[in-house]
Amino acid sequence: MDFKLSEREELLRKTVREFAEREIAPRMEAMEETGEFPVDLLKKMGEIGILGVITPPEYGGVGLGNLARIIILEELGRVCPAIPMALQVHHMATHALSAFANEEQKRKYLPPLAKGETMGVVAVTEPSGGSDVAGMKTSARLEGDRYILNGRKCFITNAHASDIWVVIARTGEGGKGLSAFIVERGFPGAKLGRKENKVGLRGAITGELVFQNCEVPKANLLGHEGDGMNIAIRNIVETGRPGMASVALGILNAVLEQAVKFANERILYGKPISSLQMIQSHLADIYADLEISRLLVYRVGWMRDQNIRCDAESALAKQFSCEAAARSARKAIEIHGSYGILREYPVQRLLRDALVTIPAGGTAEVARLVMARQALSLVK
Amino acid sequence: MKGEVWVYAESTERVLHEVSLEILSKGREIADSLGGSLSAVLVGRDLMDVAKELVSFGTDQVYWLEPPDSNFYPGVHVVEALTELVKEHDPDILLLGATSVGAELAPKLAARLKTGLSAHCNDLKIDEQGHLLQVVPAFGGGVLATIVCPEKRPQMATISPGVMKIRRNESRNGKILRREMPLNGKSRVKVLDSVKEERMEVSLEKAEIVIAGGWGVGNKENWQMLEDLAKLLGGAVGATRPPVDEGWAREYQMIGQSGKTVRPTLYMGFGISGMMHHMVGIQDSEFIIAVNTDPEAEIFKMCDFGVVGDLKEILPCLIQEIKKGRSEREGF
Amino acid sequence: MRIIVCVKPVPDPRHWNRMSLHPTLKVLVREGIPNVVNPLDRHALEEALRIRERYGGEVMILSMAPLFSLSILREALAMGADRAVLLSDKAFAGSDTLATSHILSEAVKRIGPFDLILCGNQTIDGWTGHVGPQLSEFLGIEGISFVKMIEGFHFEEDGTAKAIVRKKTEGGYVRIEARLPLLLSVVKEINTPRYVTFSGILEAERKEIQVMSASDLRIDPSQVGLAGSPTKMADLFMPEVKRRREVVQEKPEMASKLIFEKIRQRGLI
Repeated sequence: MDFKLSEREELLRKTVREFAEREIAPRMEAMEETGEFPVDLLKKMGEIGILGVITPPEYGGVGLGNLARIIILEELGRVCPAIPMALQVHHMATHALSAFANEEQKRKYLPPLAKGETMGVVAVTEPSGGSDVAGMKTSARLEGDRYILNGRKCFITNAHASDIWVVIARTGEGGKGLSAFIVERGFPGAKLGRKENKVGLRGAITGELVFQNCEVPKANLLGHEGDGMNIAIRNIVETGRPGMASVALGILNAVLEQAVKFANERILYGKPISSLQMIQSHLADIYADLEISRLLVYRVGWMRDQNIRCDAESALAKQFSCEAAARSARKAIEIHGSYGILREYPVQRLLRDALVTIPAGGTAEVARLVMARQALSLVK
Repeated sequence: MKGEVWVYAESTERVLHEVSLEILSKGREIADSLGGSLSAVLVGRDLMDVAKELVSFGTDQVYWLEPPDSNFYPGVHVVEALTELVKEHDPDILLLGATSVGAELAPKLAARLKTGLSAHCNDLKIDEQGHLLQVVPAFGGGVLATIVCPEKRPQMATISPGVMKIRRNESRNGKILRREMPLNGKSRVKVLDSVKEERMEVSLEKAEIVIAGGWGVGNKENWQMLEDLAKLLGGAVGATRPPVDEGWAREYQMIGQSGKTVRPTLYMGFGISGMMHHMVGIQDSEFIIAVNTDPEAEIFKMCDFGVVGDLKEILPCLIQEIKKGRSEREGF
Repeated sequence: MRIIVCVKPVPDPRHWNRMSLHPTLKVLVREGIPNVVNPLDRHALEEALRIRERYGGEVMILSMAPLFSLSILREALAMGADRAVLLSDKAFAGSDTLATSHILSEAVKRIGPFDLILCGNQTIDGWTGHVGPQLSEFLGIEGISFVKMIEGFHFEEDGTAKAIVRKKTEGGYVRIEARLPLLLSVVKEINTPRYVTFSGILEAERKEIQVMSASDLRIDPSQVGLAGSPTKMADLFMPEVKRRREVVQEKPEMASKLIFEKIRQRGLI
């Protein structure tokens, strides 16, 4: 075992941190205000390699792997969690394509996604719910050389900012009757629905994708008919949950920094409040949440890079770190006292951001189901 | 020679730089305490008036090197001429201004003379052995170091502009020693032209002077006085949140927790109470002046100089005072 | 064009508030504070990369630092430099700017011919701005500090070349024409350094970093390090930062006179 990051990983962290502090931090005010994603940053992030981090080099990416991706998302999240929220879904789209697309589809769609010329989404969730994949209603009917899609996808991150949609739709009955499609925003019948107004992660767009007799060329079927369920689940387990966990990990970094900074600056009874044991106890809890989350999330990245199955580990990392982020943000607000509820102080935003990470990519309850299944299988 | 202090005097269009006068004042003090003499080194064409001014300022000797061309670059040739001059007279101490010219010339000269050099000194003292103690900032001024050069001579230092006080001393009769400075062979460097640039509007983070206003400024008209004052001093205007909300100031001018962090040499806060989320953004300022009507305002506990008073009355007076001070200086 | 860029690892300024002064040893305790490439050196490297992109050639990093600074050189390589030379030896420790420039000049002489040396105008820790000019002096070439723009190069038929640069002055700038080889120390106005890209990081892993010691450079240890440095540090201390809290209540005229005096004393009028 080795817990030391390599020189490469340290350098990645450094360069992303610098980018985030210099380019993203000045944009946050506007993101909070409007909820809009700063699409003009995509190109720069593409040039650095942030968008193509898990895309193989032969398709325009840098192919640095999953641990690298986690470090990048963590660093971005430390400065502005909405950005890695959007990017992690973008990465999900690149993962779905790298893992399941045919050669022609990869050549066509991956390089622009890796370079930041296009933005991707994966659309699974419907008004009926996201985790009940088998209960999905959006339909895809083969007519000649094209599929006709009808239905509605909701809570889709990046919806209104995106160009390439990986959409799961029903081509037959039951769990085996789901298929995945690559839908371009410009296809006939592909429409944008409502845009949600979230309390946190403002700047990562959440909205609806609507399909009204949407015409998708047969060549845009991802994998085979019936692969939809597998694609959706592999995608969420291998990329979506570790991605959400990384966003939460980024938030935890920021929470600890803000809490310590305030505790050192705030003078009460003639001393900084960081010298008070009650405050120190809060700080210790936040520190523990950060460190445990980091171990859990990095482990998933490492397992993915070794090609080890990690369904339960991924669910655990997601559930623990997202809940830890919310829990720690609340503690940080308590350390701040009345200052904690002022808009000037970032801790209130961090709590709002953390709350949004909890249902995204599978609720804590769904994650616990996966973990329980694993627990039950350990002892016969 | 023990106690002999040299100062490299800089001038532009025959006007001595302020920093040169500052260093000469300090040089005089050091020379006197060592029982030595004070000399100035001057390089350039047609500088008799400047040389005379140096004498009238209290310099014992002025070594004036005159090149054949006024458009010379202070490069290798000047280094060579100065090296020769220094070797001839063996001064104990050689001081230069930390300017665009001095900060480049000093290290080259020190390398040629194989002697020690300190940079951006903000204080100079003489210890019991007669060594020059040179106080220099490091790590952005967070740490100060005292540098000495115990064996090699001259002891060289560049001095930051603005840190030494100017003290005139007109009682002496100094000598002016002019010498031709040959520019041997073809110079490898040539000055093409010199361009004056209007100082661009200074950004808050980089400004040496920050003038900030708070809720107490009261209205847009009063806010304009802050702008005027900043313009006069070449500073930038910052704000707490209320003036931004009121539309007197812009979002990007906000200083503090949710705004910018400033580290100016001088911060002046008008009508600012001193709430923590503003103060964290100014705490690294070198000198803090506060004006507020409320004698109990928090900011008075965290300032260097505070005035309890109405900014509406004080600002016009202060602007007047600065304009007056300026014209007096220019007149002289 | 063969360009050498001098790079110094410095403690990350974002962590300076964590530095403290050892009460008895009089040294800075900087444990756990990471090093970064000196900010202005990145501007120098950026300028070198732009020159290489336009005129072709090679960009080489030169640094004198302890061996653990290899990762800092790797970062410079990831930005796009072609190769790096690290001068590292116990004998170099404690060198002042004069001794450092001497060591660098010996290395440059061994590295071979060059057209341009680019340095950051000063390092953010010591803030002297000496090494550039002193290196030029040791090499017998011209050095120009405070360079805020390189307008371009003119190549003569006889194979020589000239650079036209702008040197920042107190009131503006001077335009200077200078023959190569030349040393330029740059200020931050010159450019905005690029970000390290991930593919740059991967490429840097395959680039060469040559390590040279005092004996490789045939340097006499008495000429470098503490022994070879004419300046010594006699004392190290923290400045008094306590606020003076002098509060007065005066008529506006008197108050503004007092404020004026405070501003003047700071050398700001």
